[in-house]
Amino acid sequence: MELSKGEQAILNGESGEGPRKAMELIVALGKIYGAKGLVDITSAHLSGASYKTIGDGGLLYLEDMVAGGSKVKVPSTLNPIGMDRGRWGEMHISEDFAEKQLRIVELYGKMGVKTTCSCTPYLGENVPKFGDHVAWAESSALSMVNSMIGARTNREGGPGALAAAILGKTARYGYHLEENRRPTVIIDAKIGDSLFEHSLLGQAVGSRIGGGIPYFRGISPDMDQAKTMAGAMAASGAVAMFHVEGVTPEAGYQDVSGLDIITIGDDEIKEAREKLNTADEVQLIALGCPHLSEREMREIAGLLKGKEKKGDAEIWFCTSESVRARCPDEVRVMERFGPVLADTCMVVSPIEGAFKRTGTNSCKAGNYLPTLCSQKVMCRDIADLLRVIS
Amino acid sequence: MMIQGRTISPGKAEGEVLVINDAFSFLGGVDASTGELKVSPGGNIAGKVLVFPGGKGSTVGSFVMYDLKVHGKAPAAVINASAETIVTTGAVISSIPMVDHVDVALFKTGDIVKVDADQGIVDIEGVTVTDSVSSVILIDGRILMLRRPEGASSYPGRWSLCAGKIEEGEDPESAAAREIMEETGIEVGKPLGSIEPILVREKNRIWRVRPFIFRADGMVPSLNKENVAYRLCHPEDVMSCGKLVEGTPEAVKSLLELTR
Repeated sequence: MELSKGEQAILNGESGEGPRKAMELIVALGKIYGAKGLVDITSAHLSGASYKTIGDGGLLYLEDMVAGGSKVKVPSTLNPIGMDRGRWGEMHISEDFAEKQLRIVELYGKMGVKTTCSCTPYLGENVPKFGDHVAWAESSALSMVNSMIGARTNREGGPGALAAAILGKTARYGYHLEENRRPTVIIDAKIGDSLFEHSLLGQAVGSRIGGGIPYFRGISPDMDQAKTMAGAMAASGAVAMFHVEGVTPEAGYQDVSGLDIITIGDDEIKEAREKLNTADEVQLIALGCPHLSEREMREIAGLLKGKEKKGDAEIWFCTSESVRARCPDEVRVMERFGPVLADTCMVVSPIEGAFKRTGTNSCKAGNYLPTLCSQKVMCRDIADLLRVIS
Repeated sequence: MMIQGRTISPGKAEGEVLVINDAFSFLGGVDASTGELKVSPGGNIAGKVLVFPGGKGSTVGSFVMYDLKVHGKAPAAVINASAETIVTTGAVISSIPMVDHVDVALFKTGDIVKVDADQGIVDIEGVTVTDSVSSVILIDGRILMLRRPEGASSYPGRWSLCAGKIEEGEDPESAAAREIMEETGIEVGKPLGSIEPILVREKNRIWRVRPFIFRADGMVPSLNKENVAYRLCHPEDVMSCGKLVEGTPEAVKSLLELTR
């Protein structure tokens, strides 16, 4: 890999130990993916925020990074953590967990990271522009900025994204290069317009193609539909980018002649739904994976308005702090049924301590709840799930 | 034996090898506070040179490596065939020397190795390299397989191609022709082709084997005492000929491709 004089100086330790380690990591990762050099980035989004997922090893790593004086050089946001910072008492969280979790957030803050703790920073806190090179972790978010915005990022891991943020640079390979952003397969989608069907479409596509870049025809997703589809594709497969004919900014100049065509219709959608459903009744319903947008908040509040809470199941609404703050009326309606939580979601929170069966409208959550949270899952659309508790 | 690999995480280390034969995940694969391995072959990785094909599993594995380091239970170095993101990240953030692009089949648990990850070099102590040749002899479309005696010094009782050491000052092609004449009485002309040497570990020796392919249609082998039996196998039957000398199927496959 070719480094500039300045980059080589950082690797030699001339800017201090923190940047040296960051450069060592970016160079090592670049090397294994065949990068020829580095590229300047305009922002980063970091995963590895929940104490549940990074554990004591991750906490110690962050302590040492801060002790070494590490600071991010570009605007950087943080992924959801294991609890709502203000309302963890309502989430069956232990004091020990809360203490360590709050310390993790504090440490990221000390490095200059905006501790927004959302998986949808592109909806407000951290919005890349078309053509920007960025270093984003969080599989659904990075797929959204690659695809819907046309910014360029690889699937970064937590420490890799942090190292890139510290340097303001990442290795130039993969999705940073035009030739690697071309579609690899055409998806002819014959589905309805609902949010849930877009999630199931993502599930069906991710599990069929694994990696690769799908080029969708037959759908016209808005940001909410794209968000749930991107999340599902990144969880059931490793899809980090997609094109949608007539929708995404880079779709217009792609040559799709000769690509294989996969058709996803009623049968494939039904199969995807059946695979994810392992529970007929639930103890918890959790909405907001990825985090609820303002429009989703309005829709949910609309469905709940004038109704009463029924049954024993709890319901959590997971969103970002900024969306929660912008939706006071909706929050009032929803709070009669369950907490509107910011900073967190059911996947990165230690729900397995309190629940065994969880309902979700997200196929992304449907993939992770059994493995990361030991849950049986009810995967249905929002209206169906709300009927369980209202 | 010095092996040239590629630097992934810099540093130098020396230690005893622990080989894990499959792709490995630090999350779930090892106890971070004790270094005890939870997967085959078991044992403790603290201070060992950990050799495995590559990483797999959750990205949390990188932090498990950091946790091991903090507890003083980290491996002294990591050697992979092919590095991926999780182990690379863990090795770099934990300052564990790491090298990849190395043939991990050359290592045995218990070997003492020196790792110079700054240069990407691994040195297995007490293991020597011997240059040899191994030849596919095609007789009317079939491959001549030879069986070594039970008392042979290398791979006793195994089936092999026509193989032997290269003598000092000898070029590989001449060595191949000489071995064929000695072991089968067949005089061969120019080879149809040859491939890059393959490395095979046998006890404290690594055979650096240069494979050749010759045609000898119509010939009948006459064995000397280096072999006790021969068979003419159809190419697709080589695998089922019997217990083979290591590396044989791979060499046969590559050599036959040359003749197509």
